[in-house]
Amino acid sequence: MIRVEGLSAALPQGQALRDVSLSVARGERLGLVGESGSGKSMLGLALMGMVPDAAQLSGRIALDGQDMTGATEAAWQPLRARKVAMIFQEPMTALDPLVRIGETVMEPLILHLKMRRRDARARALDLLAETGLTEPEAKMRQYPHQLSGGQRQRVLIALALACDPGVLIADEPTTALDAQIALRITDLLVRLSRDRGMALIFISHDLAAVARATERLAVMYGGDLVETGATAEVLANPRHPYTQGLIAARPRPDPAMIRKRLPVIPGTVPTLGDLPRGCRFAGRCAAELPRCAGTRPAPWPTASGQAACHLLEPAP
Amino acid sequence: MTAPLLIAEGLRKTYPRPRRRLLRAEPPLVALEDASFAIAPGETLGIVGESGSGKTTLARLVMGFERPDAGCVRLDGQDIHALPPRALQRLRPRFQMIFQDPYGSLDPRRQVGWSIAEPLRAAGITGRTSLRDRVAEALEQVGLSAADAARYPHEFSGGQRQRIAIARAVVTRPALLVADEAVSALDVSVRAQILNLLMDLQEAMGLGLLFIGHDMAVIAALCDSILVMQEGRVVEAGPTARLITAPAHPYTRALMDAARGETLTRGAAP
Amino acid sequence: MRHRASLILGAVLVGLMAAAGLVSLAWTPWPLAEIDVLNKLAAPSAAHPLGTDGLGRDLLSRLMAGAANSLSVAAGAVLLGGGIGTGLGLLASAWGGRVEEALMRLCDLSFAFPALLFAIMLAAAFGPSLLNTGLAIAFINVPIFARVARGAANQVWVRDFVLAGRAAGRGRAAISRDHIVPNIAAPLIVQATIEIATAILAEAALSYLGLGAQPPAASWGRMLAEAQTLLWVAPMQAVWPGLCITAAVLGFGLLGDGLRDWADPRLVRRQA
Repeated sequence: MIRVEGLSAALPQGQALRDVSLSVARGERLGLVGESGSGKSMLGLALMGMVPDAAQLSGRIALDGQDMTGATEAAWQPLRARKVAMIFQEPMTALDPLVRIGETVMEPLILHLKMRRRDARARALDLLAETGLTEPEAKMRQYPHQLSGGQRQRVLIALALACDPGVLIADEPTTALDAQIALRITDLLVRLSRDRGMALIFISHDLAAVARATERLAVMYGGDLVETGATAEVLANPRHPYTQGLIAARPRPDPAMIRKRLPVIPGTVPTLGDLPRGCRFAGRCAAELPRCAGTRPAPWPTASGQAACHLLEPAP
Repeated sequence: MTAPLLIAEGLRKTYPRPRRRLLRAEPPLVALEDASFAIAPGETLGIVGESGSGKTTLARLVMGFERPDAGCVRLDGQDIHALPPRALQRLRPRFQMIFQDPYGSLDPRRQVGWSIAEPLRAAGITGRTSLRDRVAEALEQVGLSAADAARYPHEFSGGQRQRIAIARAVVTRPALLVADEAVSALDVSVRAQILNLLMDLQEAMGLGLLFIGHDMAVIAALCDSILVMQEGRVVEAGPTARLITAPAHPYTRALMDAARGETLTRGAAP
Repeated sequence: MRHRASLILGAVLVGLMAAAGLVSLAWTPWPLAEIDVLNKLAAPSAAHPLGTDGLGRDLLSRLMAGAANSLSVAAGAVLLGGGIGTGLGLLASAWGGRVEEALMRLCDLSFAFPALLFAIMLAAAFGPSLLNTGLAIAFINVPIFARVARGAANQVWVRDFVLAGRAAGRGRAAISRDHIVPNIAAPLIVQATIEIATAILAEAALSYLGLGAQPPAASWGRMLAEAQTLLWVAPMQAVWPGLCITAAVLGFGLLGDGLRDWADPRLVRRQA
C-alpha cells in the first residue's frame, strides 16, 4: 500500500529523517516507535504529504502504486481521506466546536464522494456505529464538547474512515486517553483494520500500546529507522542496542522488579542540531565501536526484519 | 514499625460547579472522597489513577495548597491545615514537591541556582556562601554540576530540568517528597534515569515519597505500596507485590492490562 | 520580518519627538514667548524655518516645546496610572476571592465613567492645568492596567514554578515580586507604549478644549485650537501641530505593535 525509499527530511535545525525505507502491505498493522525527536511524526506527516514547508524532502514515496515523490499539494489533496487518512493525539482540538458531530462526519461524504445529504446521513450513522459509539443517532445531533475524550476519538476515527481509506495513520491516538479507554480505542483500531483490510500505521512512544496494536514494528531514533521486524520478535529479541536499551529501560509490573534499579540508556536524546554523523545512537551506546560515530551502519537482516548496527555485520 | 511521617485521614474535597440555571445551584463536583493513607520515613506510596481520579487534588491537599472539606493531613503529627500560616511556612522545608512538566516548573527568567535556592531563602537561610554551597551540593546529588547553577532553564533538556526540579525539592533535606506525574512527560530512556535517581536519593536521605502517576508499570517499579483511585475514590489499596499479582478491582486489572501490553503479545497472539 | 519594520519606524518617530522635546528644554531657535506682531503669520524663511504664528512667535520653537509638554504629560500619566493599576492588578491576582472580585468590579465601574467628563470635573474643581490633565489621564489608565496585569498575573499564578515557590514556603508578596512581575513585564510594557499613544491624543483633546495647557505654555492641542480661527487664512498653522500629533501617536502605536510581535514569539520559544 505504502512504499517509502530512501526518504530524508532536512529541517533548518538538522536532519529530521535520514534515508528511511519502509513498506506497508494492504491490511498490515505497523507500529512506529520512537522518543521525542526520533522523526516518527515527521514520517507520518510525510506519508500524508503534510510535512512543514521548512522541511526539504528527498527520496521516494509511493502510495498504492502511485508515485508521490515531489507531488504538489494539489496532487496530494485528492488522495488524503480516500487513500490515506490520519488521526491525531488530541481529540479535543481536532473537532470544530461549533459543528454538530453528524455534520462533521457527513462533510467528507458530501464533499469527496458527492453523496446526497440523505445518503450521507445514513452512511455517517453507520460509520459512527462501526466505531462503537453508543447511541450514534443522538450523538449525531450533539456538539464536540458534549462528548468525552474517548467518544471524540471515536468520532475522529469515523471521520477518517468516511472515504474508506487504504491506510490509516494514527499518531499517538491513545496518549491523551485514560488507560481503559486507550485499550478500547487500540482494540477498535485493530478490529477496523482487520474488518476492512485497511493498513494501520500506529505511531507511539509507548511500547505497550504498540505491542497490543501491531504485528510489525519499526523503531526510530534520531531520524533513522534503526530496527524493523515482527512486533513479538523485536520485543522478545531486540537486536539493535537502542531497541534493547529502550525495552530494558521500560519498567514492568513484575513483583521481582519492585524497587530495583532500571537499566538505563546513558545521556539524553540529542537535539536535531547535534546528531552524530554516523550511527545516530553513537555516544549513548553501551556496545559502541570506534567507527560508530563516523560511519553510518548498513541495515543487516535479522530473524524477521532488519537492524542498522555495525555489530550485526556478518564476519567476512 | 516507625511512627508514620505522613498521615492522611478521610480527606474529602469538593469544587463548586458553575450554575446552569439562575435559581438552581448545581451540586458540587466531588473531586476526592474519604481518602486515607500513611507513609513511614523512607517508604514510597504510589497513587495511581487517571485524569479526574482526584490524585492531583490529593497532592494539592497534602502540600497544603488547598484546604480539605473534611479530614486532615498530619506531618510529624501536626495537622498542616490547622497550623497558622507562619508555622506552616516553618514546616515547609520538611515536605517538598516535584511537578509533571519540567518545562513549566522552573521560572524561565531565573537562573537555575536561584530557583534551587528558593526554598532555602524562604526558610530564612540567606548567607551567600551557604546558599551557594547548598545549591552546589543539591546539583551534584542529582547528577549535575555546580557550574550549572548559573545557567537558565532553556539551556537544559527535559530530563535535566527534571533533575533541577528534584534538586530544588531536596535542597532543604526534606523528610517527604510529593511527586505528581514527575516522569510522565519524559522519554522512556530518560524516565528510567530519573526513577533510579529518586530511588538513590530516597535511600541516601531516608525520604518518604508520595508518587502520583497514571502508569501502573512506573508506579509498580518504584513503590512499596499502591493506592488505586478512580473518580475521587480509593478503589483498591495494598502492597505492590500483592496488587500487581492479584489485582482485585476491575479497574486495577485494566491499568495492569495497559501497562503489560508487550507481555500480552509475547504470551499469546491477539 | 514585518514587525521589525514597524519597530524601527516607531522607534525613529518616537526618538525624534523625544529628542525635539528634550532639546527644547535647553534651547529653542527663538525664545518661546517672544511676540513679534509685525512679523505674524510669516511664511517659512531662514530665520523662522516653519514660519510664525498669529502672535509672531516662532512655530518650530513652539512645536518643540509642545513635544516636551505632550510627551512628558502622556508618558508621566501612563507611568503613574499604569504603576498604580499594575499594583492593584497584582494585588487582586495574588489574593483572589473577594479582594479580586471587589477590585475588578471597581474597574468595571470606572470604565463606565467617561474619562472626558472626569477631566472636565477635575478642571472645574481645581482649575484647568497641564497637571490636572495628566492626573485625569493617569486615572483612566488605572483600571486598564489593573485588568491587564491581573489577567496576565492569573496566567502566571497557575504555572508550576509558582506552585513550586509556594511549596518552598514563600509568601504571596515575595512570589508576586520574584516570579509574577518579571513574567508579566513584557505585556505591560507593550500596553504602556500603546496607552501613551492614546494619552497623547487625550492630552491634545483636553488642551484643545482649553482644559489642559494654559497660555502662554505651548502644547500641540492648544496650538491646534489657536490655529482653528485662522484656518482659512493660514492653514499651515493647524497642519504642523496636527502632523506632530499624528506622528507621535503613530510612532508609539507602531512601537507598541512591534514590541508585542517581538516579545510574543520569544516568550513562546522560551517556554517551548
